[in-house]
Amino acid sequence: MTFSRRRATSPSGNAASGNGTGSYGSPVPFLIPAFLIVFAVLIFPIVFSFVVSLFDWPLSAGGGTRRFVGAGNYVELVRDKEFWNSLRLQLGFIFIAIPIEIALGLGAALLLNREFRGGRVVRALILLPVFFLPIVSGMTWRFMLQPRYGALNNFLLSLGAPEITWLGHPTYAYAAVIVQDVWRMWPFVFMLLYAGLVGIPADILEAAEIDGATSTKRLTKIILPLLYPTILTALLLRIIDALRIFSEVYVMTEGGPGMATTLFSLYTHRQAFGYMKVGMSSAMAIFLLVISILFAVTLVRKNMSLEKLEEQGENR
Amino acid sequence: MRLATRKKIITAAVAVFALAVLAVELYPIAITLLNGFRRDIVILSGQKLSLKQFTGASYALVFQNGQLMRAMRNSVIVGLLSTALSVGVGAMAAYGLTRFKFRGKNALAYSFLVFRMLPQMSLVVSLYLMFRTVGIRDTIFGITLAHSSFNVPYVIWMLIPFFTVVDKSYEEAAMVDGCSRWGMFRLIFLPLAAPGLVVAAVFAFINSWNEFLYALILTGVNARTAPVAISSLIGGDTLTWGQMCAASTIMLIPVFVFTLGMQKFLIRGVAAGGVKG
Repeated sequence: MTFSRRRATSPSGNAASGNGTGSYGSPVPFLIPAFLIVFAVLIFPIVFSFVVSLFDWPLSAGGGTRRFVGAGNYVELVRDKEFWNSLRLQLGFIFIAIPIEIALGLGAALLLNREFRGGRVVRALILLPVFFLPIVSGMTWRFMLQPRYGALNNFLLSLGAPEITWLGHPTYAYAAVIVQDVWRMWPFVFMLLYAGLVGIPADILEAAEIDGATSTKRLTKIILPLLYPTILTALLLRIIDALRIFSEVYVMTEGGPGMATTLFSLYTHRQAFGYMKVGMSSAMAIFLLVISILFAVTLVRKNMSLEKLEEQGENR
Repeated sequence: MRLATRKKIITAAVAVFALAVLAVELYPIAITLLNGFRRDIVILSGQKLSLKQFTGASYALVFQNGQLMRAMRNSVIVGLLSTALSVGVGAMAAYGLTRFKFRGKNALAYSFLVFRMLPQMSLVVSLYLMFRTVGIRDTIFGITLAHSSFNVPYVIWMLIPFFTVVDKSYEEAAMVDGCSRWGMFRLIFLPLAAPGLVVAAVFAFINSWNEFLYALILTGVNARTAPVAISSLIGGDTLTWGQMCAASTIMLIPVFVFTLGMQKFLIRGVAAGGVKG
């Protein structure tokens, strides 16, 4: 991901050349502390999680009676209607929220990519929701959607519409969770895509304009193809992020009403700390982990290689 | 000339549109900030906003709420400790990754990036079992360690681009003078890389400050951090929206100050998966 205007002209490799110290000393002492921490709180828990997922493992403090069940938890998951429900809600969330976020972000980036008075301020303020604490966002939306005193109902009542308990209705609650996420995260997509747009060299666009390319042609033939890698990055980042959504929904609806907003992570949480079935919960955790790793590896291989990171530093 | 007028009109239309979008985006934030200054009874009765309602009562309640204050103090402590730990360890690792040539370097860098993107939900259950066994559940040490699981890879990710551009000639001169690698890193490299360390530290602190899930599962009354304490202000029969908004505003202040002050680095900071709960 490179967002610099100077990308095309930057002299590459000024840091790579003259690597006189590269073989002096050993990198091992520098890497060991990070490795130890990563091992203790990432690698070991993952392996442990997998082991737990092979057991019928109750949460009780004394440890309870653990029983090895092999793939039993996974088989039970496949038979569990609520598991499929949470997976369906999770996928629905990703397939509905993220395209809207990309569309809004792209549209706004194209529109706001011009100079007007206060443009800089607008572009900065539009990003504030991204930095709104997720749990505060969840609670604020929960507040706005309350019957009687919530802002939305107040507004609708003044129009003569009936009062609706938004978060008490399965479909509306699910929609509200999506709207909350779109509200908060489309500016994130905007931020990435705007930076990508600014990075497109102006002379290419000017040359196209002189050659008589219409604005539609410039958009579809030049801007979008050049912006495509950035769009892909934004898409992957949003998917990885959406796969693990938990806190906003947890404080907003607690997964309810019923199971209507129990997305994947919320059901994983409920398995462990509601039903006290740590084994089942770990099986879900492993399932989510595998999917997340697939997306993360795709993203990292495409856009975040070490060379790209280094190039990003040089272009800054 | 006609083209110029048309462009002006379009620009004006865009500006109006931008303001409308901005209003929608900022409305929920404004509600939170404003309701912190209104009484619960005023909020719950759905009264229209008026200047007369403004009071610091909710803030007073927040500051008198011992549990909440303790949670905020915990948040600060955990944030600082986790930042110090992850920037220290992360800076060393990023140095190892940018200043040495060795086999498997790319694979190692990749895996740190991938680690940053793993869902917390996949780890929290086994962390819970582990912490309970070792006896560090509900301790500042435990939650700090848990926060380091995302902050260490995050800091490494943030620092690599900063470290690449630090001029190597100083280190080369030091090498000629017989300085040890560790001495080079500590005495020569780190001061040169200080701006990057500051940026990484700010984002690492905010990551920890915003974190919810680990705090929810891995802490109890002792080490509970502010996001969990704030979330418990709402739910069941307790609907203290005023206090919730006041406490949230306090939580938001450092985040907004830092992020608006760090415009230049926002994209990299956020794209790295920062500023998430």
